[in-house]
Formats: sequence, structure tokens, C-alpha cells
Amino acid sequence: MRWLGLAGLSVVALTLAVVLGPAHVAWADLGRSPIVRELRIPRALLGFVVGGSLAVSGASLQALMRNPLADPFLLGLSGGAGLGAVAAIALHLGGPWALPLAAFVGALVALGLVFRLGLIGGWGGGVELDPRVLLLGGVAVGAFAGAVMTAIISVSEAAQLRNAFLWLWGGLSGASWDTLLVLCLYVPVPLLVLLAAARPLDVLALGEEPARYLGADVTALKRRVYLAASLLTAAAVAVSGVIGFVGLMVPHLCRGVWGQQHRALLPASFLGGGALLVLADTAARVAVAPRELPVGIVTALIGVPLFALLLRRWTAT
Amino acid sequence: MRRWADRIHLAARLLVSVAVLGACGRAGDRQTAASQASGALTVTDDAGHRVTLPAPARRIVSVAPSSTELLFALGAGPQVVGRTTWCKYPPAALAVPVIGDGLNPSLEAVAARRPDLVVLYRSALNEAAAAQLARIGVPALVVKQDRLEDLARAAQLLGVVTGHSSAGDTIAAAIDAVLRTPPPPRHVRLAFVVWDNPPMVIGAGSYLDQIAGLAGGVNVFHDIPAASATVSLETIAARDPQVIAVLDDSTPVGEPAYTARPEWQVVRAVRLRRFVHLPADLFGRPSPRTAEAVAELRRLLEAWR
Repeated sequence: MRWLGLAGLSVVALTLAVVLGPAHVAWADLGRSPIVRELRIPRALLGFVVGGSLAVSGASLQALMRNPLADPFLLGLSGGAGLGAVAAIALHLGGPWALPLAAFVGALVALGLVFRLGLIGGWGGGVELDPRVLLLGGVAVGAFAGAVMTAIISVSEAAQLRNAFLWLWGGLSGASWDTLLVLCLYVPVPLLVLLAAARPLDVLALGEEPARYLGADVTALKRRVYLAASLLTAAAVAVSGVIGFVGLMVPHLCRGVWGQQHRALLPASFLGGGALLVLADTAARVAVAPRELPVGIVTALIGVPLFALLLRRWTAT
Repeated sequence: MRRWADRIHLAARLLVSVAVLGACGRAGDRQTAASQASGALTVTDDAGHRVTLPAPARRIVSVAPSSTELLFALGAGPQVVGRTTWCKYPPAALAVPVIGDGLNPSLEAVAARRPDLVVLYRSALNEAAAAQLARIGVPALVVKQDRLEDLARAAQLLGVVTGHSSAGDTIAAAIDAVLRTPPPPRHVRLAFVVWDNPPMVIGAGSYLDQIAGLAGGVNVFHDIPAASATVSLETIAARDPQVIAVLDDSTPVGEPAYTARPEWQVVRAVRLRRFVHLPADLFGRPSPRTAEAVAELRRLLEAWR
């Protein structure tokens, strides 16, 4: 029943995204209109994959960090991606894919730095990831990249640099079948790694030491989950900029319905995150047409009141 | 685009009122009135503040490319002692020392030029800066230069405070004449795309929308009151402009990178590579050379009529 409801919500979200838009397309033309075929459908599907990836990434990181505040963008990826994008514009890197590629590379560099910072001497003499250090390292790397980015924007002469911020604040305007194809070739790998880690993540929730006694390879698990979740987020930020709240709120919303078992929580987060982002993007396109709102603002406007409501209900019981 | 900063701000339109001590009416009378009052003059700027100068300004710092160009056009170029990094027109302006990029002016850098007048474009940040400058005894004039009619008034205002009021009147009259000229009868529908992701276009609040209208074009986003706005790509596709106007920066002139993106091919003008390239010197800001800009755009649009 719960799954049926979630599947229904996803279908409704995708249908609305295809049917509604600022441009008027007659019902009879829905199948033929290039606006629907080349813009709305790839954008809806891209939004679904990005929203789902962010939510799964958030759910995994919250389990890994054992911190309800963990968010895919807390670990420095947004700063790295923004710096990459700004560098691409400042260096006049040409080509239609320069910006997303540079953002992806920037996010990977930040990821590598944070990973290296998070590796410390730990249990049993080997090096291992310390979630607390990861969190602090992520914030530090993100802040530093943000500062470098702002410095470049302040001193550079390139007139378009201000718009790099617009891009960074997120949106799905860059959606096309090509973008969707690239993302769909990439996303399944980290996604499957995370889904496969569902059972060990349940055990990790008990604490690192109990998890070890229960036979989980905690050292490898933490690395695998951190890298897979970050690689998912890096891809998402490259195609759509930083879209907040989806990765933070959707996992919590899903925990309220599906409980703590990651085998159910991760797929539910994927569908829930996808549906939320697609609904938010449709609202962003339609609400103030012909203008468009940044989608991150809409995810917050829809998500935060919902989140607050549920938070009150949970804490009341 | 950084250059847009001097026009993308939402503000209620204030009427510029130029009031010189002891005079009212046409600007032509003002200079005489001002000189009769031993050279001292008082004007009301576009922020509504009364600014008093003991005499026409001799050392001016201009904190916007549009006012720098206007000051040079008035013949007040030799009186300009400070400019921003973006003030590159006319070429003679390049000899003037730079005080910064003008977005958040460093008051110390401005004051170091020992100006007797600072000209700022109208924005909340600049109004605060003007108040601070006034406190250290430097008169600052806030001038709105978003639309072509603003430019006519700005020309008269700056003409009065620099002692070139007849030049100011001439420029204002020339701009008024352009604004009154009927456009060519057959219209070309166009969109100004200033950024691709998210797509940003020029709306009715911009002088570019006015220039398009005067040159026989119709901005397909004329219904957006703001100077610029983020829109959906599908809106651009649905409104189907005949041509896309591209503002050419200092960056290499050519087709913008987004024209190769697959999703942009839905826009017919992009698919058919129908672009008009507008040189930034002439179209990058409201300019006293508006007549020239209108004629140039008219010529460029002729091919698509």
C-alpha cells in the first residue's frame, strides 16, 4: 500500500511535469510537440534521477555519519563544483559541456581532499575514515573552495562570472536527452553500491564497535558508502547545480513511513526524492510563468513546511 | 553579466528634477541662473537628495560605465579623475585612473582621488555609499540610467553640475528625437538571450527593449516588466523569436556556446543559427549614442525582415 502510494505519486509527478508548462501545448499535440519531446520529457526524467540520487546519497550519508543533519552537499562538493564552474568560465573554456565537466572535476577534487582528510589512524592500527573528521573536513574544504571562487569572481574581468552563481544555485534548464543518457550510464553504479550496502548500514546504526562484533567490515563499508554517495552527488551537481533540502529531508520523511531498514529506506528515498524534485521543478516552471524560479527555492518551500509538520507529529508521540 | 549590474535593480521610478538655485524651467536658463548666484548650484539627484556644489565640478569620479561615457560625451572628459575597470568607452577614458570595479565602491579609493563630485548609478548599495561620501564632505550624485528617458535627464543633470548644460540639452534633445521617431512598419520578433543556464532574457524594463522597438523589432519578452528575468527554455521555444540578439562581450565574437547544446535546438532561431551580434560598446549600456545603436540594430534586422 505504501509502495503503491509512492509509485502513484511518482507517476503523477512525472505526468504533471510533461503535461504542464509555461508554453501552451494542446492535448492532441502532446505526443508530437518538440517542446514536450525535447524539453519536458528529458527534463522530468533528469529531475527524477537527480532527486532520487540526492535522496539516496543523503540517506546513506546520514547512516554513515550517524548524524541526522548529514546532507550530500555538506561534504564540500558544492564548493568544489562551484569553483570548477567558475574556473571554466574565467578561463573561457569553450564547448557546450565545459561547465558541467568542470563542475564535476571540481567536485571530484573536493571529494578527494575531504576523503584524504577523513582518513586517520584508527581501529586496529590501520587507516580508516572518521565520520566526524569527514564532516569537519567537508565543511572546511567547501568553505575554502567557496572563498577562492568568490575571490576569482571579485578580481576577474569576465563579465559572465556573476551568472556562475545563478547556475550554482541549481536548476534543470540544462536537461536534454544527451544529459539524461550520460547520467543514466553513470548513476546505476554508485546507486547499486549503496543499495548493496543496505544491510551493513543497518548494522552500522548500532555503532561502529557493535557492528564490528557482528562481523561487518566497517572500514571498507565506510569508504564504499562515502565514495558512492559523493560520486552520486558530484554527478547531480554537474547536471543541475546545488539543489538543497532533497537529500536532507526526503530520507527523514521516508524514515517516518518505512522505518530504519535501509533495504526499504533507500529505494523509497529514491522514488520520494525523484517525485519531490519533479513536482518542485514543475512548480518552478509554472508558478510565475513566463519567468522561472530557481528549483532549490521551491524544494525548500514545499519540503520545509511538510518536514516541520511531520517533525511535530513525530515528537508529539 | 557584470555590466548589467548598473541597470538590473528594481526601484520605483523617481522623476529627476533639476532645480538650480533661483531658476526653474528649461535647462537652458539654468546655467545663467547658476552663474548669477556666484557659481553655487543645487540639484536634486535621482535618490531625491539635494546636492549643493560651490561651483561646477572640476574633479569627478564616475562609478559607472554609463555615466563615464555620458561625461565624456558632454565634453567633461578632462574633468573626470576616476573611473571603474568597466569604463572603457570612449578610448580616452582609459587614461583616467581606476578606482575599482564599481560594484561595491571602495570609499577610500574614491576619496583618494580628491573628487569634488562623485557620480554613482542608482542602487541601494550606492545610495548608502553616497550618504557616507556626504559625511566626509564629498558631494555625491546618484543618477538613474536604466532607460533611454533616464539618459536624457541624466545628460541634463550632469551637464548642469559639470558646467556643460548646453551640451546636456543637446544630448537630451537628440535622445528625445530618437524616442519620437516612428519605427519601421514591419516588425522582426526577437529575444535578447543574455545567459543560457538558467536562460535569462531582457524584459520591458531594459533600454534594450526600447532600442529594439525603435529599430523595428519586437522583444518577445516585452510582457516581463523587469529589465531581465530567468525564463524556461520552453517559453523561448514557444514564443518562437525570428532572431536571437546576442550582446558581444570582450570574449571572442562568435556563436555562443549554448547554441551547440542539444536542448537549445528546440528554439527555431537557434536551430537555424539566426543571430544578430550587438557590439558591447554600443549596446552594453544606455548610451548617448542611442541614435547610432538604433540605426545599427535596424540595419542588422533588415536581413530578417
